[in-house]
Amino acid sequence: MSIPEERLMAYADGEVDAAERAAIEAAMKADPALARRVEQHRALRARLGGAFNAVLDEPVPDRLLSAVRNAPTTTDGDASVTDLGRARAARADAAADSARKRSKWTGAQWAAIAASLVVGAIIGHFALQSSELGPIAQRDGHLVAQASLEQALSTQLASEQSDSGPVHIGVSFKNKGGEYCRTFVVQQGASAISALSGLACRQGGAWDVRTLARASVSAGSEGGYRPAGSELPPSVRAALEDQIDGEPLDATSEAQARTNGWH
Amino acid sequence: MSHSAEAVRQQLVELLPRLRRFARSLAKSPHDADDLVQLAVERALVRLDQWRPGSRLDSWMFGIIRNAWIDETRSRRRRDSVFEPEEAGEHVADAASEAHIHRLSVEAALARLPGEQREVVALVLIEGLAYKEAAAVLDVPIGTVTSRLARGREALEALLGGREGGVP
Repeated sequence: MSIPEERLMAYADGEVDAAERAAIEAAMKADPALARRVEQHRALRARLGGAFNAVLDEPVPDRLLSAVRNAPTTTDGDASVTDLGRARAARADAAADSARKRSKWTGAQWAAIAASLVVGAIIGHFALQSSELGPIAQRDGHLVAQASLEQALSTQLASEQSDSGPVHIGVSFKNKGGEYCRTFVVQQGASAISALSGLACRQGGAWDVRTLARASVSAGSEGGYRPAGSELPPSVRAALEDQIDGEPLDATSEAQARTNGWH
Repeated sequence: MSHSAEAVRQQLVELLPRLRRFARSLAKSPHDADDLVQLAVERALVRLDQWRPGSRLDSWMFGIIRNAWIDETRSRRRRDSVFEPEEAGEHVADAASEAHIHRLSVEAALARLPGEQREVVALVLIEGLAYKEAAAVLDVPIGTVTSRLARGREALEALLGGREGGVP
């Protein structure tokens, strides 16, 4: 049965009705090549998310917050809002203000990008910063969990974990491609103030790290590495929300998945 | 200041990270992207009477950012046509030859798509809008969204050399 590529993409995006979904799923069972193409479309979506969700973790520049709070509106009943000269002057002020701050925030921004993207930059970053036994390694162009992170992803249950280990597991779930995935926070290096948060999925007998971001760590907690309020960085949460199929695993199904080796 | 304007400002503060992400997927640089967001916020607030309370503020803002981006691209193209004619147009380079020269980052690959594909990819695959919602933002039929998305995806997959951009 031949299915147009557009319909496979619509299926991968959850944009087909029940009848078409049933027809496509039957066709995928009969033809593994179709299933692979659907998986490829989903992987592209996840990859785009992985690249751009990092923006969500960046601090919003002051000039944008200031524009939202102070730019004039028509409903203010302020006649001067239509005064273009004044609007331009305000904009020029904001631009000058942002120019003064630019060098500062660009640094933070690049740090966020370097820490967040599953691309060459972060692989290089890891190669430089982590020893052979760091939590994440590069393998065939992928990032995979190793050492304490791999151990924790394979064995640690979100429902039964201490607060003092090097890895904290957040949510376990099945993604739309049927793989088991887990969010995590891992302490980076010896310093407790540096932590990484991410999302890894079980693929080919390894934990494939699909999203990675610097986690903000609550200040002052001794030896604490968990992100403030145990919140995931926005980029990791966005990846989770986009990729999850249904609900997160409850304690019982999580334990069951571990018993079955996450297959 | 009216109550409703204040409520919208509060919602906009919460939307800013997503607006920045959307602009980042369109613009050439992070700084240009924030310029787009700033311009769109200013335009939106001045035209607040055109927003229907109860409708989606994010979709409305995406539309304003996208229009600001199109304006900017046009004026930039006019400037560039004087100084840098070779950069005046954005084309998907021959995808196959591009892919084997070097592996592109996702951002670089997206930047190579024609604008009408890039904006659909951004709205649906990055911002997570339904096809119908993206069609409303862009004011085109849903079939146009579907076909542009398909072409954009195929170009990206070709540019990125297949799944995960893995080494062949």
